[in-house]
Amino acid sequence: MKRFWRHFKSRNQERQELYKEGRFFNMLESFQWPWHVPFGEFALKLDSLSLIFLTAVTILVLCAGVYAVGYMRQYRTTKSMGLHIFFYFLLSTALVLIVLANNVILFLGAWEMMSISTYFLIVFNDEKSSVRRAGFLYLIMSHCGTFLLILMFFLMAHNAGSMNFEIISHSSFPVAFAGSILLLAIIGFGIKAGFVPVHIWLPHAHPAAPTHISAILSGVAIKMGIYGICRVLWIIGVLPDWCGYLILIIGVVCGLMGVLYALGQHELKKLLAYHSIENIGIISLGLGVGLLGQSHHMPFLSVLGFGGALLHVLNHAIFKGLLFMGAGCVIQRTHTSDMDLMGGLARTMPLVSILFLVGALAICGLPLFNGFISEFIIYFGLFQGLFHLPLQGAFTCAVGIISLALMGALALACFTKVYGTVFLGEPRHLQEPPSTGKISLLMIIPMLVLGGLCLWIGLFPQIMANAAFQGGAYLSHTDLASLPMGTIFYPLSLVISGVFLFFALVLALVGIRRKLLQGHAQPVRETWGCGFFQMTPKIQYTSSSFALLIVDFVKGILFFRREGGDVKGKFPAKTSMSSSVHDASEEFLFKPLFARLTSFSKKLDMNRIRYTQIYLMYIFLYLIFLLVWKLK
Amino acid sequence: MNIIFLILSHWLIVLTLSPLFLGIISKVKAFFAGKKGPSFFQPYFDLQRLFQKNSVYSRTTTWIFCAAPIINLAAVLVLSALVPLGTFKAPVKFSGDILLAAYILGFARFFMISAALDTGSSFEGMGASREAFFSCLSELALFMNFITLSFVSHSISLSAMIGANFPLSWTLMGPVLLLVVGSFFIVILTENARIPIDDPDTHLELTMIHEVMILDHSGVDLGYMLYAAAIKFFVFASIMVPIIVPVQSGNTAWDMLIFLGGMLVLSVTVGIIESTMARLRLNRVNNLLLIAFALAFFGFVVKMWRM
Amino acid sequence: MTSWVDVICIVIVFLSLIILSNHRVAAMIGVFALQSFVLGLLPFFLHASSISSRDIMIGLVTMILKAALVPYILFWAIRHVSMRSEIKPIIGFGASIIFGAIVIAGAFWVSLSLKIPGQPASDLVLPCSLSTVLLGFMIMVTRTRAVTQVLGYLILENGIFLFAISLFDVMPVLIEMGILLDIFVAVFIMAIVVNHINEEFEKNTASVVQSNMGETF
Repeated sequence: MKRFWRHFKSRNQERQELYKEGRFFNMLESFQWPWHVPFGEFALKLDSLSLIFLTAVTILVLCAGVYAVGYMRQYRTTKSMGLHIFFYFLLSTALVLIVLANNVILFLGAWEMMSISTYFLIVFNDEKSSVRRAGFLYLIMSHCGTFLLILMFFLMAHNAGSMNFEIISHSSFPVAFAGSILLLAIIGFGIKAGFVPVHIWLPHAHPAAPTHISAILSGVAIKMGIYGICRVLWIIGVLPDWCGYLILIIGVVCGLMGVLYALGQHELKKLLAYHSIENIGIISLGLGVGLLGQSHHMPFLSVLGFGGALLHVLNHAIFKGLLFMGAGCVIQRTHTSDMDLMGGLARTMPLVSILFLVGALAICGLPLFNGFISEFIIYFGLFQGLFHLPLQGAFTCAVGIISLALMGALALACFTKVYGTVFLGEPRHLQEPPSTGKISLLMIIPMLVLGGLCLWIGLFPQIMANAAFQGGAYLSHTDLASLPMGTIFYPLSLVISGVFLFFALVLALVGIRRKLLQGHAQPVRETWGCGFFQMTPKIQYTSSSFALLIVDFVKGILFFRREGGDVKGKFPAKTSMSSSVHDASEEFLFKPLFARLTSFSKKLDMNRIRYTQIYLMYIFLYLIFLLVWKLK
Repeated sequence: MNIIFLILSHWLIVLTLSPLFLGIISKVKAFFAGKKGPSFFQPYFDLQRLFQKNSVYSRTTTWIFCAAPIINLAAVLVLSALVPLGTFKAPVKFSGDILLAAYILGFARFFMISAALDTGSSFEGMGASREAFFSCLSELALFMNFITLSFVSHSISLSAMIGANFPLSWTLMGPVLLLVVGSFFIVILTENARIPIDDPDTHLELTMIHEVMILDHSGVDLGYMLYAAAIKFFVFASIMVPIIVPVQSGNTAWDMLIFLGGMLVLSVTVGIIESTMARLRLNRVNNLLLIAFALAFFGFVVKMWRM
Repeated sequence: MTSWVDVICIVIVFLSLIILSNHRVAAMIGVFALQSFVLGLLPFFLHASSISSRDIMIGLVTMILKAALVPYILFWAIRHVSMRSEIKPIIGFGASIIFGAIVIAGAFWVSLSLKIPGQPASDLVLPCSLSTVLLGFMIMVTRTRAVTQVLGYLILENGIFLFAISLFDVMPVLIEMGILLDIFVAVFIMAIVVNHINEEFEKNTASVVQSNMGETF
């Protein structure tokens, strides 16, 4: 083990020399171009923060593009593809521009470009009213967010007197002002990122979109919200104490609510959408730790937190893309997205089932795959915070550790439910599944690539972890070389050797098993029915019944509805039962809010028939308001 | 090479000793029932018998079903390499190994639950569902214990957190350790499917968690499962014993004797609990686990308050 | 430094938590008796070097009153009302435990900034007594039955008693007041039970009459 460590250290030194020469990750490439937009300039910059996001965008956009070629074949005869392809490329461009933009106007332009093109991509199946509604909701929510962002950026630019991020970051902000900027950023970017409770567009839009678009949405588009927050953190630099606590608590709430809602779903893509909220929560946990470290002047802690969060951004893009693509294959084969009707797909589509398993294990943060690495780093940061922060900070970190552990356990419950009900057991609907949906090779190849990346980062995390730590150090304005990074890389390397140990053991045990079974017949029979025969696949546990214990336990938080299912009398009549989990923030916050707004605008609208002048009066009043405001 | 030798010798101890303690538990239970009971070495005989048999598979199952026992056994063996056994130091120890320990168990659990769902039987689905639920709560309690212990010892390594490595023993941190021990004991009972959370002996499908999940496994597969269960109990007990008796006399033989004595007492305690208590109603189990969590949390608060 | 006083304090809070999570009234009373017994042990450990006769007296009286008499009356009470389990608490048992844990953390946090006169036997006395008081309150707030309410009150009182015992060098009258309070509680319980029985009968008759009227009209 010592040798391993020494070898690792020397490799690391080599790499650090590379950094110092500025050839590796830390190249600060920038690019400028005159642009005839007021205050605008076409300024691009690639730094270690955007590098992580750019990597995620590139990988996922490429993979999803290839996947789409296979996936969209089913629509070839019914729909024209031109518009879809156009907006796909527009979205890719916008995503790249967002992470590279070095100017407020360029950033906001790219941001809008992303929102609009995403809208058109979501409403691909616009003959369904649910899809149209989901797209509309997305459009409204994302514009509300953009409004706040414009406000925030202009406040910031006004304070600094420039529209260039680089220059803004050099100016100093009063502490209270910085706090309010961050609040605006958290709400504005949080809408895109899917922070609870402003996440409500997310579980509608993801299932409505075609699969490769869901993958991009969940993998990178919502990460743009995280990127925005990171960029704002980088620009502001020094933040008041409470920001770290706020983001950490947001992470805890998002993570737990996301995974609990996911457990209650029985629609495959909706479940994955809620899991995105959970992972955004994990990322925010990391960011919160980083901020706590920054405000308590502990650069190592902040690099751990930020680095873990950034690595998780990349990891989540990879495994969530993989999972969505797997879900797309399943849905294409079964023509339904209701998990309660699926089952036994591992036998008809073995390769997809294995790739989905890889994604599921990765998202649960289990060793061998990439999710574990980033969660390990975040855990490590939280434990460092527990040991070294003062009382409140230590307590918050303990809460973070506990909720991260709980999220892990709940995600495990959720993905065993998904994997078990979709791929294992017997098909739950009795008629044979229609086998028309052929899975083309073009859909498998990108999944293989993503699955391979999961395994690669899981087993050889040094390169990506280094890149993430570079990003983290850049974000917290510290120098990585001055930090004891061995404290995290040494355990990381040992974790990996532990995983290899596990792997070797599995191989050995397989060998022993084969040896023991040699010469024995291995009869294949029915599943033991505890003395009963002729069991139908209907009596299997469905995804809803599997999750019922947990959902019932937390029904105080979730909005759990259960209808029917009463059995009355000695010879009960045929009955049916349905249960569903609804989003509390949608039911209790947004529906009443929208209802209020609608009734209010109806009231305004009432007079329209008789008086056009009323509208003129509104305009007049508004003008007066503006005048008075300016007078002051 | 040295490290490989250390790991292998560690596993040798674990593999040879672990079934014995299950034998002790069933002996104690037999004693309380007024019976003679099977020999102490009955678990060894059971394993030997199972390893000689062939396995029967269901038509429904896939490779997951065969993989689960292997992964389960491998996971607990990796876990055992992280835990010191009396005077034998843990061969693998580093800061953060508790996370590897917890998540490698999670890996095994993923496959156990999947394998149960793989059979397509409603009974095993029931067990899987319960396992998924209760493991969430026991993970909560387990992590709270880890947090408290690591906060006390300022380390996130299992070896440093427990036992003789403990810089502060009972005289300094008595109340905290008392709470942690209570909480961890409940976690042990849960993770190892013991009364009052689960009943390892009955085969009443409606009341069980762990046993019902491995209903369809047979032969070598079942042997692997049983072996993994024995090792898991052994490993959890050997985490707990050094917390209760953090003795470091310096004399290897004495220390080992104390460790084994502690393990013996713990197994007998589990046996006594199994023979005197009834299994809890299923919807009370979560309260018990939450109490385990609250205990550890209380310990954490006390420690933090004293800081 | 760990002392027996510490352990007793911890055990008392822990037992209140157990009572909070329990659903069977009989078990709750049993645990309460145990808690009072542990509380009665406290005076013996207060002055480790020299146990005065006053210590022994107070310990014994506490044990007799709280661990024997009051539980006995409570058992008598539930036998008469024939109540076995708490049917519908206002918040569930799981949530109670979580809230209880949070309440304990809160009590510890508050006690950081509280100053008490004199030197208590252990620094854990103040936060633990505060937690016990708050947990008692929580039981009174969240439980619906009269007997469980009384239990909540008794636990609250145990919390105060814990505080008083460990301070009784400074405020000697407090402890006698506490014991007097116990006797008051015993009377109080009986009054509540009798009242409760009457109430049940009246409510029953009233509802029966009402339902009959409903059917007639």
